[in-house]
Amino acid sequence: MSDTHTEIQSGVRAVAARLLSEGRVKTVLGYALGALNETVPCFIKRAEDTKRLVWNARCFHNLATYLPREHMKKHFPMAVVVKGCDRRAVNMLLKESMITRENVVLVGVPCGGMGEPLLHKCLYCEVRKPEDVDEAIPGEPAPIETPREGRFDSVTKLEQLEPDALWEQWKGHVERCIRCYACRQACPLCYCKRCIAEKTQPQWIESSPHLRGNFAWNVVRAFHLFGRCVGCGECERVCPAGIPLGEINSKLAKTVRERFVNYQAGMDAVTPSPFTTYDLGIDNDEGIL
Amino acid sequence: MQEVKYIRDDWRQTCLDALAGEGYVVLGPMRDGEKVRFRPCTTGSDLVLDQVNSDYPLKEAFLPKTERLLAYTFGPGGEPAMTPPEVATQKLAVLGCRPCDAAALVGLDRVFNWDYEDAFYNQRRRESLILSVGCSTSDDRCFCTSLGLAPDASEGSDLLIQPLPDGGARVTVVSDKGRAFAAAHADVFGPSSTGSPPTVADVPVRLDIEMIKPWLDAHFADDLWEDISLQCLGCGACSYQCPTCHCFDMVDETHWQQGERRRNHDCCSFSLFTRHTSGHNPRPTPASRWRNRLMHKFRYFVERFDRRACVGCGRCMRVCGAGLSLIEILKTVAARPAEKPVQEVTA
Repeated sequence: MSDTHTEIQSGVRAVAARLLSEGRVKTVLGYALGALNETVPCFIKRAEDTKRLVWNARCFHNLATYLPREHMKKHFPMAVVVKGCDRRAVNMLLKESMITRENVVLVGVPCGGMGEPLLHKCLYCEVRKPEDVDEAIPGEPAPIETPREGRFDSVTKLEQLEPDALWEQWKGHVERCIRCYACRQACPLCYCKRCIAEKTQPQWIESSPHLRGNFAWNVVRAFHLFGRCVGCGECERVCPAGIPLGEINSKLAKTVRERFVNYQAGMDAVTPSPFTTYDLGIDNDEGIL
Repeated sequence: MQEVKYIRDDWRQTCLDALAGEGYVVLGPMRDGEKVRFRPCTTGSDLVLDQVNSDYPLKEAFLPKTERLLAYTFGPGGEPAMTPPEVATQKLAVLGCRPCDAAALVGLDRVFNWDYEDAFYNQRRRESLILSVGCSTSDDRCFCTSLGLAPDASEGSDLLIQPLPDGGARVTVVSDKGRAFAAAHADVFGPSSTGSPPTVADVPVRLDIEMIKPWLDAHFADDLWEDISLQCLGCGACSYQCPTCHCFDMVDETHWQQGERRRNHDCCSFSLFTRHTSGHNPRPTPASRWRNRLMHKFRYFVERFDRRACVGCGRCMRVCGAGLSLIEILKTVAARPAEKPVQEVTA
C-alpha cells in the first residue's frame, strides 16, 4: 500500500468516526478487508468500528449501487465513500430522483485508479478528484499520464467487423450467460423496482437462458443504459460468465459522445440526459432530447 | 476396501477412447471463452485440469440451465396439438469433474426422485458414468473437508482417477457401474502399481459444520440475517454456479401458432422467486431471502434428505461480486450458542 493510500485511509476513518459520533449519519458505507484480504463493501454503525475501513487499489465496488434500494432507507442518513466514477453514478441517481441529497453524505476520495495494472476505465478517467462532495478527503492521487487517444480503439475494431463475424464473436459470449442478473444488480443505474426482464404481460424478454433470450436481455440492458451508463465497469467485473460487457458500454459511451455534443453521463446532476428528458420546450417534433 | 487399478500413461486420451468405444458422449472441463465448463470432449489434451475447479458446475450436464419439456402448435381451427417431450437418449459420461461436483449429484438424485421422478433428469443420469479426478491443488475458498468430503472423496463417482507423477493414474473403483466398465477395458485399467502415491490437496477443515443446524433450528428470527444481507447485491450468481442448487422455473414461450414449455434454473435470491400474483411477497427483504438460502442448504435439506445441500466447492465465493464469504458466514454461525437466550419478560 502506497503512502497516498495510507494517508487517504486515515482521512476516511477520521471522517467516518466524526460523522457517526456527531450523529450526522446512522451508517457509513465504505470498504473493509474480507477474510482473504480482499477488499469488500462494508456497513459501519459505530464510531469505534471505523478502524475497519480501508483504502487501497482494490476498492473496485461502486458503492452507489446500494443507495436507491428500499431496504437501505432505514439506514439513512448514510455516508458513502465515493471515487470519481461512483460520484458520477450518484449524479445520475440525483438527476433521476432516486435519492435525495440530504439522505447521503458523500465522502469523496481522490483516486489514482483501481487494479494492478490499472483498469482500462481508470486510464481514461476524467474525475479523479470527485467534486461537490460533503467531505473531501485530502490527498493527491499518483498522476496517470492519461492517453488522449485509444480510449475507443477496441470499439472501433468491433465497428469494423463484418456483421457475420461480429455475430459469431458475440454469439459465443452471450451463449454463456446464465441470467443471474449480476450485471443488473451491480449496476448503480439498474434500479427499477420491476425490471423489464421480469415482466410477463406482455413478456418483452424471454427468461430462458437460450441464445434468443440471452441476446434480448443483454441488448435491452444496453439500450436502457444509453446515455446513463457512467462506465464504472461493475457489470463486467461481476459477470460469472466472463461476458465482455465493457465493450458494449464503451460503444454506448462513444455513440452518445458523437451524437450529443460530447455528452458524458453523470458529469453533473443537472444537464438533461439524452433520451430520458421530456421537455415541450425542446425544439423538435417529439419533445425528447 | 475399494479395488484399485492403474492406467499406464496418457490416461485422459485412453479413458476418452474407451468411453467413446462404448457409445458415450463424454463431457469434460473445457475452455469456453475465458471460463471453464463441461462440454463434449474428444481430445484428452483439451481437458482443463490445471484450474482448481471448473467455473461452471457439473450440474448443467444433468440439469441444463434451460431445456424444452414439450412443444405445442395450434391448428387452423385453433385446436392444440402437443409434441411429446423429448427425453435425451445419449449416454453421458463425465471425465474430469472434481469429487465435490460428483458428490453434489447424489443430492440432486434425491431431489429428482423424491416426490416425483423426473424423467428428464433421470434419463440423463441413469445411463451416466462419472469419472472424477481427485484434486492435487486447492485454494482458500475450497472447504470440502468441512462438509465431510475430501479432495479424494469418492461419493457420487463411479471411478475416481488420481493422476500420478509418472504420467499414469491411480483409479479407485467405486460403484458397480465403474467396476463393469473397468472390467470391460482390462487393457486400460491394469493391476495397481506400487509406485509413488498421488498428490492430494491439503484442504484444512475451516469450521465445525455440526454447529450450524442446531443454531439454525433456533434462530428463524435473528439480526444475523439482515447483517449478512446488507452487503449482498441480490443477484443469482452464487446459486446458478452452485453444484447443489436445483430450483427451477417453468415457462411457456409462444410464437404465433406454436410454442414450447421450458424449464430454466431459478434462484431464491430474487424477489420474484416468491412474489405472488397478488403482489404479496412472503420473502419481501434480502434478509428473508438470505435466511432461506442458508436454511435450505443446512437445515431443510438435511431434514428431508439427511445430507447438506453444500459440498464446499467454494464457487459461490469465487463469483460473488460483493465479496460475501459463505465460509465466514458459517464460521459466525458456528461460533454462536445454539440455544436462544431466555428473554426476560417485562411487564
